[in-house]
Amino acid sequence: MALTITCPICGKRNGYEFKFGGEEKGPRPDEKDLTPEAWCDYVHMNKCVAGVQQEWWFHKDGCGSWFPIYRDTTTNLEKPEPGGQK
Amino acid sequence: MMNRFNHLPTLKVDTAQKIAFIYKGKKYYGVKGDTVATALYANGIRIFARSLKYHRPRGLYSLDGECSNTCMEVDGIPNVRCENTLLKDGMVIKEQNVKGSAENDWMSFLDKLDWMMPAGFYYNVMHKPAKIWPIAMKQIRKAAGLGKISPDFEMPGKFDEIFLNTDVCVIGGGPAGMMAALGAAQKGLRVILMESRPWLGGFFEYRSSQYKEGETLHNRAGQLAKEVESFENIRVFTHTAAVGTYNNNLVTGFQIGKKDDVFNERYIEIRAKSVVVAAGCIERPLIFDNNERPGVMQINCALRMAKTYGLLPGKKAVFSIGHDLGLEAALELHDLGLAISCIADIREDGQDPVLLKKIQDKNILFLKGWVATKAHGRKLVKKVSLASVDGQVSKTFDCDLVVASAGMTPVTGHITVAQGTLKYDNHTGFFLPDQMPDKMHAAGRLLGLNDPLSIEASGMLAGLKAAFDCENCSIGEIGEAKKALENLPGPVRGTKLVTAPVKGRKSFICFDEDATIKNIKQAIEKGFDVPELIKRFTATGLGPGQGGIPGHNLPLYVAKYQALPDISIRPTNVRPPLVPTLISTYAGVNHKMFKITPMDEMQRKDGGIFRNIGVWQRARYFSNDLSCKKEIENVRSNVGMLDGSTLGKFRIYGPDALKALQRVFVSDMSRVKQGRIKYSAMCNDDGCMIDDGVVIKQGENDYYFTTSSGRAGQTAEWIRYHTRYDGWNFALVNLTDALGVINISGPNARKVLEKVVDIDISNEAFGYSEYKEFKISDTIPLRAMRLGFVGELSYELHVPSSYMKAVWLMLKEAGKEFNIQNFGVEAQNVLRMEKCHIILGQESEQRTNLLDVGLGFLWDRKKADAKTIGAVALHQAEKDQTRLKLVGFKMENNSRAPRDGALIVDDKVRGYIATARDSFSLNEAVGMALVEAPLSKIGTRLTIFEDECGDDRIYGKVVEMPFYDPEGKRMKM
Repeated sequence: MALTITCPICGKRNGYEFKFGGEEKGPRPDEKDLTPEAWCDYVHMNKCVAGVQQEWWFHKDGCGSWFPIYRDTTTNLEKPEPGGQK
Repeated sequence: MMNRFNHLPTLKVDTAQKIAFIYKGKKYYGVKGDTVATALYANGIRIFARSLKYHRPRGLYSLDGECSNTCMEVDGIPNVRCENTLLKDGMVIKEQNVKGSAENDWMSFLDKLDWMMPAGFYYNVMHKPAKIWPIAMKQIRKAAGLGKISPDFEMPGKFDEIFLNTDVCVIGGGPAGMMAALGAAQKGLRVILMESRPWLGGFFEYRSSQYKEGETLHNRAGQLAKEVESFENIRVFTHTAAVGTYNNNLVTGFQIGKKDDVFNERYIEIRAKSVVVAAGCIERPLIFDNNERPGVMQINCALRMAKTYGLLPGKKAVFSIGHDLGLEAALELHDLGLAISCIADIREDGQDPVLLKKIQDKNILFLKGWVATKAHGRKLVKKVSLASVDGQVSKTFDCDLVVASAGMTPVTGHITVAQGTLKYDNHTGFFLPDQMPDKMHAAGRLLGLNDPLSIEASGMLAGLKAAFDCENCSIGEIGEAKKALENLPGPVRGTKLVTAPVKGRKSFICFDEDATIKNIKQAIEKGFDVPELIKRFTATGLGPGQGGIPGHNLPLYVAKYQALPDISIRPTNVRPPLVPTLISTYAGVNHKMFKITPMDEMQRKDGGIFRNIGVWQRARYFSNDLSCKKEIENVRSNVGMLDGSTLGKFRIYGPDALKALQRVFVSDMSRVKQGRIKYSAMCNDDGCMIDDGVVIKQGENDYYFTTSSGRAGQTAEWIRYHTRYDGWNFALVNLTDALGVINISGPNARKVLEKVVDIDISNEAFGYSEYKEFKISDTIPLRAMRLGFVGELSYELHVPSSYMKAVWLMLKEAGKEFNIQNFGVEAQNVLRMEKCHIILGQESEQRTNLLDVGLGFLWDRKKADAKTIGAVALHQAEKDQTRLKLVGFKMENNSRAPRDGALIVDDKVRGYIATARDSFSLNEAVGMALVEAPLSKIGTRLTIFEDECGDDRIYGKVVEMPFYDPEGKRMKM
């Protein structure tokens, strides 16, 4: 795997060490007044961006933390936050 | 055995050291340093193999394994590229894909039937009527192919893998690659240098031409290699082909082990900050009739045979070449004793005048603008016809060797697989790098350079560019290196000729797949206009040589045939592995990976029969009676011990620990009381059940909980994932391996345990569903729970792993008077099934939710604030009448339990059996099944379909659960 990921605790590591946790979709919605459709969208629907997207990764063979990164899905490379100071 | 030169400075063989090997049952000798191919050649073997389709004889051609010509079976391993495989003592070598022998193959009549097999014939013929195809397919498969492998073949040898980090990775250990490595290393960077041959030196190594006054290229190669080796920050991998390059500067390769290495082959994965590709050139095969007849070989093959291995490749030769290297080789081989009838050079002009003069001096017939058109000879070359490039005049010469090459072609695979692009260059006739991938630099001959100093200068420039990527080199230095290169001779003009003036029925563009020029024309006439499609349809370049032979010839020929302007010529795609690799090298070390419990050894001593269950090895049975009758009856009537150490065990504590538990468990965890056990479940966001276990409150915001064995690995990840937005303060500790579990069960369990512990464990002091922490003999800390998984009085003891043996032995000793026995996982499975206690994965699958398995009562609906995982989906699933339900059933026919997974049917599938066994406790065949809701009513007759049962069905009836001790008195005793 060509991908490397920068863990906030362990630094830049081989992509093999991490597990993918899906696109960034924001915190769990409140259950009150939640329609089944909205819930289903939150859980199952993805944007599948061809380009830079924010997504979650788990450092499974490392510190065991979840954190979001930006990744270019067309090149499979980690990217700095778009417009950010990183 | 042929005589060898033993005085050449370029030799890589030691002619004094003989190595014995077996070929076709007979003993032969090679010498130290030989490849399998050169050793065979030295023993007079010229025909190494038979081609895939036409069974044409094949021999040495490139000496670098670019085609399947010399694929043979070596030590039982098929398709070994003999040109790249060093000879070892006692090797057993065989031919492959032959009927008879490679020398006399009675399938060779197929060669005359090529008119029956046009390009893509297997797509067109033998399909009508459809019945013929299976028969035809079998025959085709029998006739065609390379090595054979039996399904139970086990790959011998040791395979390893290493993962490296470096600043600069250089692909290619020739002059350019070595200079690049030196350039980067002098800047203090760490460098890895990969070379596919067993030694450094590349294009310089085997040549005796002058590098500068008083120094040969060979000497220069040695000098550079020495310098490279003197750098501690250059790590050299020889006999290591780079097979893949990826973005992010990842390079993969495989290394062939030396005699003393602990591996036969090793997969290498290198992460570099910058990559230099200096892979050089291979020769572009010359296409003419019978251009692969044994006796026809490329310039480098003929030259290296003599210079590296000390073997004169023939007696009388004709050269048909298009590059100065051909002239140089002719002169050198002539001096070594090869008679040369003629040198035909495709080029009308542009030859090195020094070489021309020497040829003239030696009175060798030299024809400008001529090319070989046909090799004659049924098995080996006997004659060759030459013609002027326009085909007007021709001549024939007797010979046993034809050195044929259209020119050079760059090895660009490393650039294109990393998404770099190439552009056809009219001057060199090369596909030159157009857009290089980020932080990848090309150097050396693949840029079209031929002058030794230019090659080195381009290597230095690339090395400095790589150093710049690592922020260790200034722009100024790169500018100087660039200027130095510009002052040296640039790329040389290449020949444009692709094929000799022939019709091409027997002119092979791809040796591996027996594809001819005629086949390419057929494909184009069928409407395939793009090289990529023609490649697929004719299978050109899809053989084991990974496109080494047809590589750039195919797009060039297609362009020529279609009369396309140069600009649109695009090479076909190549993909990793760029060089054929053993799958076992990718697989690496075959680790048998499993975990063992602290009781592993003792249970084995007690006769445990172990099985891999998930990541663990567990004792499944304790006798050869796989129905476990004795083990089960012992637990029901006496007392048994089970090792439950595989259970997931966790501690969660901290100010927000309860909040986290509320999120993942479906029950209201605030109601967990100290000293009591709470059984609960975890669901996923679809409400499907993923885990169950018990939770214990050890203190305020301090809990201990168990998970099923299979889930333990994911539990921490799961909880942290689903609380990732909340910023809660809690710590989660995985105690799975730190603690072992002993389950002591049966009516006599208390009597045994009483003897071991110091506290009161009477039913009044330690009742069902209660939890206690205490110490044995003031030393061994124990967590004890009264659970009823198997449906009897039972204690689950959680013991630090280091004390497991001690406690196990104490219980065994105490239980002696009751004849305490082990029981295994299978006995437990039956015991709990009789109680209808579910096991996830057995009574559930991915789509089974909490409600389906009848555990809806665990779910607390009043904690919406906790945003419990699965709660939203469960609210929706409640209204769904179409879901499967878990039911208990009894078979109509006793002692005929259906197999697990058997289907429940009427006119279609209505459900399936989860677990079913002949119950010794009940004397009935019982089980649990997931069925559609209408079938879940008590008394419903279930029709069961088992695999291979034909028209026979077996029948069961839905009954109340549980089957055994419905009131649950026994576990509360």
